[in-house]
Amino acid sequence: MGASLLDQVLAETLDPAYLQAAEARAERERAAVAAGEPPEPAARARRRRLGGQVLVAVVLALAGLLVAVTYRQASAGSQGRAQVREALVKDIDREQHTTDGLAARLDTLRATVDRTRDAALRATGAGQAALDQLAGAEQGAAAVAVTGPGLRVTLADAPSGADADPVGTRPTAPSGSAVRDSDLQLVVNALWAAGAEAISVDGQRLGPTSTIRTAGEAILVDFQPVTSPYQVDAIGSADTLSQRFLADPEVQALAVVTQSYGLRFDFAKEGHLALPAAAPAELHSARPLPARPAPAGTAGPTTSPGG
Amino acid sequence: MIPILGLAVGVVLGLVLHPTVPLVLQPYLPIAVVAALDAVFGGARARLDGVFDAKVFVISFVSNVVVAALIVFLGDQLGVGAQLSTAVVVVLGIRIFGNAAAIRRHVFRA
Repeated sequence: MGASLLDQVLAETLDPAYLQAAEARAERERAAVAAGEPPEPAARARRRRLGGQVLVAVVLALAGLLVAVTYRQASAGSQGRAQVREALVKDIDREQHTTDGLAARLDTLRATVDRTRDAALRATGAGQAALDQLAGAEQGAAAVAVTGPGLRVTLADAPSGADADPVGTRPTAPSGSAVRDSDLQLVVNALWAAGAEAISVDGQRLGPTSTIRTAGEAILVDFQPVTSPYQVDAIGSADTLSQRFLADPEVQALAVVTQSYGLRFDFAKEGHLALPAAAPAELHSARPLPARPAPAGTAGPTTSPGG
Repeated sequence: MIPILGLAVGVVLGLVLHPTVPLVLQPYLPIAVVAALDAVFGGARARLDGVFDAKVFVISFVSNVVVAALIVFLGDQLGVGAQLSTAVVVVLGIRIFGNAAAIRRHVFRA
């Protein structure tokens, strides 16, 4: 017995049963010779050897079968995974295509509805007044695209590798050097306070009910993910905006913070900014125009719960 | 010669017929293959050493495969299946290496 299990495993690679069997066989032969028995007939010895060989062949066939089956199983497994992944990717592509098509159709239908509505309302004085009111409301609700001069504020995460652990497997920057949703909220609020008329974040127009929040590792604006660098466009008088924006104590604090964490935080006056319309709010209720009886075919007392 | 033929027939049968293995046994196939390899290498070395015995080979093969699968099965039931699989692979791997080295010495005299 070896000093330890490992020693034994390392020293004894051949099954000791082979040596024992060989010794036993030699012993038997010696005993047979000593007892004066006649040696085994050659034919019988041959048959016995053949039987042993067949037995070994059967076992080896079993071993080959085992290897082949295991190989097939393993390769089929990886093949199946690849197939499933491919099918899923195809599904995603197809559904995205469908979504894009539906969104485009929604846009055209919405434009048609708007055109028809405008045409119907323009026919009467009350309708014209309602239309003017609607135009103002749409401006306020960010339902129409706007252009004009303004301020462009850019926030960006610290470049990776600044103080990232090269050995670590975490692909994300440490939490201190990434822009947070609260930073974006602060910038947006400061811009509103500075007199911005319309604001978009990474091309997402902010409406009255827009949200900026974190979900997991991403910042969502109105449930659409935005990524660094974050570009905040604000329309308004560029001079007034930048003056008031920079005077904001919160913004000054943010500037200090971004500097010490290596974030990018800069702004530029822009002569021409184009902001898209925000996703229109769902229509939850509608009521007929007040006062004078409206001509038939305009707004009816309908409600649409909308989805 | 016949044993080599048997091995080839087994591989071809496995690839052509691709028999289905019960789902319960599938996790133990790889470990059974390693155990079978150990028995085959042991047999080859014994043959080269001149001490080969068909009965010992058959018994060592069957018991190797069964015991290896059984150990892993037991480990699975106890919640240490992965560790026991590693242990079985390490021990059998060392033996396969040792026997392969002995076979190499026989064949190449080095």
